[in-house]
Amino acid sequence: MKLFDRPLYGFVVIGLCWAILHGCSTPENESSEVEEFDVFIAEEDLLPDELPLNLSWYTNDIDPEFASPDAIRGGTFHTWILSYPLTMRTVGPDSNGSFANFLRPIQFGPIAFHPQTRRPIPMIATHWAFGEDERSIYFRIHPDAKWSDGERVTADDFVFTLRFMRSKEIIAPWYNNYYTERITDVKKYDELTYGVRGADVKPELEMFANFSFGPRPEHFHELTDSWVRDFNWKPEPTTGPYHVATMRDGKYVEFERTENWWANDLRYVRNRFNPEKIRFTVIRDEHTAWLHFLKGEIDSFGLTIPEFWHDKAEASPFKKGYIAKYWFYHNLPVQPSGLFLNTAKPLLDDVNVRYGLAHSMNIDRVIQTILRGDYERLDTFTRGYREYDNTSIEPREFDPKLAGEYFEKAGFTSKDRDGIRVKMDDEGNVIARLSFVITYGRPAHTPRLVILKQEAEKAGVELNLEMLDSAASFSKMQKKKHQIASLTWSAGGFAPSYWQHFHSANASAEDKTNNVTSTAIPEMDELIMKFRSASSLEERTGLAQTLEQMVHDHGAFIPTFKVPYTREAAWRWIQLPEWIGTETSGTLINSQANSYGFSNGGLFWIDEEEKKEIFALKRKGEEMEPLTIIDQTYRIVPVDNPEVQEGQ
Amino acid sequence: MFKLSLDPQTVKQWKRFRSIKRGYYSAVILVFLLCLSFFAELFINSRALIVSYEGKWFFPTYGKVIPGTTFGLDYDSKTNYKELKKLFKEQKEGNWVLMPLVPYDPFETHDAPVDDVLYTYGAEPPSWETQHYLGTDTLGRDILARIAYGFRIAMSFSLVLLVCSYVAGIAVGCAMGYWGGAFDLLFQRLIEIWNTIPFLYVIMIVSVVVSANFWTLVFVMVIFGWTAMTWNMRTSTYKEKSREYVNAARALGASNVRVIGVHILPNTISVIVTFIPFSIAGGIAALTALDYLGFGLQPPTPSWGELLRSGMQRLDHWWIVTSVAVAIIIVLLMVTFIGEAIREAFDPKKFTYYE
Repeated sequence: MKLFDRPLYGFVVIGLCWAILHGCSTPENESSEVEEFDVFIAEEDLLPDELPLNLSWYTNDIDPEFASPDAIRGGTFHTWILSYPLTMRTVGPDSNGSFANFLRPIQFGPIAFHPQTRRPIPMIATHWAFGEDERSIYFRIHPDAKWSDGERVTADDFVFTLRFMRSKEIIAPWYNNYYTERITDVKKYDELTYGVRGADVKPELEMFANFSFGPRPEHFHELTDSWVRDFNWKPEPTTGPYHVATMRDGKYVEFERTENWWANDLRYVRNRFNPEKIRFTVIRDEHTAWLHFLKGEIDSFGLTIPEFWHDKAEASPFKKGYIAKYWFYHNLPVQPSGLFLNTAKPLLDDVNVRYGLAHSMNIDRVIQTILRGDYERLDTFTRGYREYDNTSIEPREFDPKLAGEYFEKAGFTSKDRDGIRVKMDDEGNVIARLSFVITYGRPAHTPRLVILKQEAEKAGVELNLEMLDSAASFSKMQKKKHQIASLTWSAGGFAPSYWQHFHSANASAEDKTNNVTSTAIPEMDELIMKFRSASSLEERTGLAQTLEQMVHDHGAFIPTFKVPYTREAAWRWIQLPEWIGTETSGTLINSQANSYGFSNGGLFWIDEEEKKEIFALKRKGEEMEPLTIIDQTYRIVPVDNPEVQEGQ
Repeated sequence: MFKLSLDPQTVKQWKRFRSIKRGYYSAVILVFLLCLSFFAELFINSRALIVSYEGKWFFPTYGKVIPGTTFGLDYDSKTNYKELKKLFKEQKEGNWVLMPLVPYDPFETHDAPVDDVLYTYGAEPPSWETQHYLGTDTLGRDILARIAYGFRIAMSFSLVLLVCSYVAGIAVGCAMGYWGGAFDLLFQRLIEIWNTIPFLYVIMIVSVVVSANFWTLVFVMVIFGWTAMTWNMRTSTYKEKSREYVNAARALGASNVRVIGVHILPNTISVIVTFIPFSIAGGIAALTALDYLGFGLQPPTPSWGELLRSGMQRLDHWWIVTSVAVAIIIVLLMVTFIGEAIREAFDPKKFTYYE
């Protein structure tokens, strides 16, 4: 696993659900919502027996290509993983390990999303059409589409996928459930045409995201009781550029490019996935991996963590110019990261206290000190959804005086001996004290919260930190037993999701839900439901912006940080297109077809000549001009950062 | 008139202990440091010792937080005395501030930027100028302050732990030895079973589910640690019980409690005393280990384990790990010296060597 660390990664549980779905090209927006459906599939949930005649078929061959025509095919890309995978399956027990991030994207879906325009682009399917019921979608399969073992991809494989995902033999209850309750039917119309029907009505774009799962090879699988065991080390044939070629137990896994790959010349695929082989070497320690990287045995390394970018990347191969540094701003949905105030708890039910708290948090100071000015202040709950974003909202800044005014409005007019604000009754007895517990589950957050705690004292607020194990803390938050939760949600998809975080249906402390602020506002509920059922983009963006404003006015979420970029280092023989990456490139030097929901991977190539040259220079001790590229093309709000200006 | 009459045996033991210089001086230094640490606020603190403002004297060390407005500053949160000192010096109006030797508390993070100089990133090396005599940790907190306050917490923790687990262990051990029979047998088995529970894991689980504070940690450690003393107490009680003087006391009609409390316990004291230093060392080590692993006291409590961990993560900031490692080594070494000396002093066999 490469250290493309995004330090704001939120809770694994949610992230995982998202990742699982993405693996099958079905990013589910509200991954953790709990709803109940009948297991029995009703007549109206099935697709018609005959292909509807009035379908209008679409394709997309007009969006720009985003791979470099200069790319050279060949070479081996060396990267590393922390541990050897426990299985080569992508479903079933142990299949959610980190290696799944590499295994899943080598399977193509019927469509993918353009990394710049964010519109659907053909992959296995050449054309698609929507049913009148607004919850079914039809695909035509590319006639050349083949599995890596040479078999043709047909509609049967998609029908089989549904059966496969619903079968008990794969021991994957989550998938069993999803493919029963969310996907109600898959039907073959002819060898190369099939349809999918989902449980709920959705706007077209989201229908893609939810219903366009990739195929499973019917000719390969035998669904017996011992499937999990039998197929543990049998890698599936793939439809994507690579297949698993070599497995050396405990040492490495090697992917090889499929010979005469059927998609070589597809418009949005050509000039991508250039290395002939990808080798994932097991290195059990990050520090050791770094040393391997400095020797040139690994081609690239993630530098997002400030310590890596500023301190570690001062090593001699950087100074001698053999390794280049990239700092690339992208424009992906931002993970909502911050403090969630539980409005069901006393004191926090008062909006003045919430506003006061927001003005007591010196987030800039955290950014300027331990985060080295590298992170940015997050302004609202959702960001990076383009037209959905409400850009008029400004975050509440640290201002002890203003905080004091709000606290006074809430009745906290005096201070106790420790300097913490208290509320007195008429007889001068203390009836409430501004002291709160922040619950969190990631040790890495401790330094940030310690600074917030120190600074909050200036506003007369006492914060106590409560770090629990990440599962225990998340469970506590979902049951709304916390006062203030410090956490990061995963983000993705094409539109923000409000229902799971702010609808009153999820505000009950009885259920484990994601409305950790216990928000229950009738007007907001109404808008959220409207937002969920609206299908026109204009209506949806308008509603999203109104909702965002309501979230801000409610004040139960104090946004903290965002990391709208990736930072990586790579040996100079790793070549990138002139434009470095795409708007949605969450990482630059990756071989995965899809990441963060968009088809943005595999743009780099290996220049073997350059590699020989650099090794020759290294032997002779000669130097090159050091290279640091800072690309801000997709940066949303450039703010003052001396380092950035210096670098340019 | 009250006259302190010491048992001649005790006097001898005390003399012997004093004659073992290494242990004796370790004890003196450690007790001195411990006493000092209880008044650490007077030496290491961000609050001033004395402020003279417009002819009035303030003593902010203990007591209510004095808001900045009291000294004519523009904020009503707690006064930043370091800045106040600078301000008074510049103003030259006869006001003055007396700061403690180390003008930092263990929680203060990075200094605010002065004159538009950027914040410092991470740890700073020891410097006489900034009065960070041992440097700062990765959050910019003074290491000396954190070590001093961490010492106070670690020592208090092990002392409280010691008292609680010894009271329980001695009581049960004595009872087992004194009554013997079925009671003894039953408790032996119970303790054996109890001992098989891996208590470090239990502590980790507990601190993961409920966030641990000082008292929950003490409670859990006592629950699992009291058994250690029972075996020794049981055997020595058995031994003493069969002595003539115990029989004599019982023949005179002394109650069980009296026999145990007045006759048996004082004669087993040497067993207890020799164990004390090692229990203290064990307590400090346990708390440090838990903090190091992240299962100890909640941040930002000053703690040696936490310092050790952040130091180990950043070995390039050598002063963090060096300071705390040296502190741990010195304290544990002193405790061990004391332990050795006590053991020797109480060992009747060694008596002749010291004649």
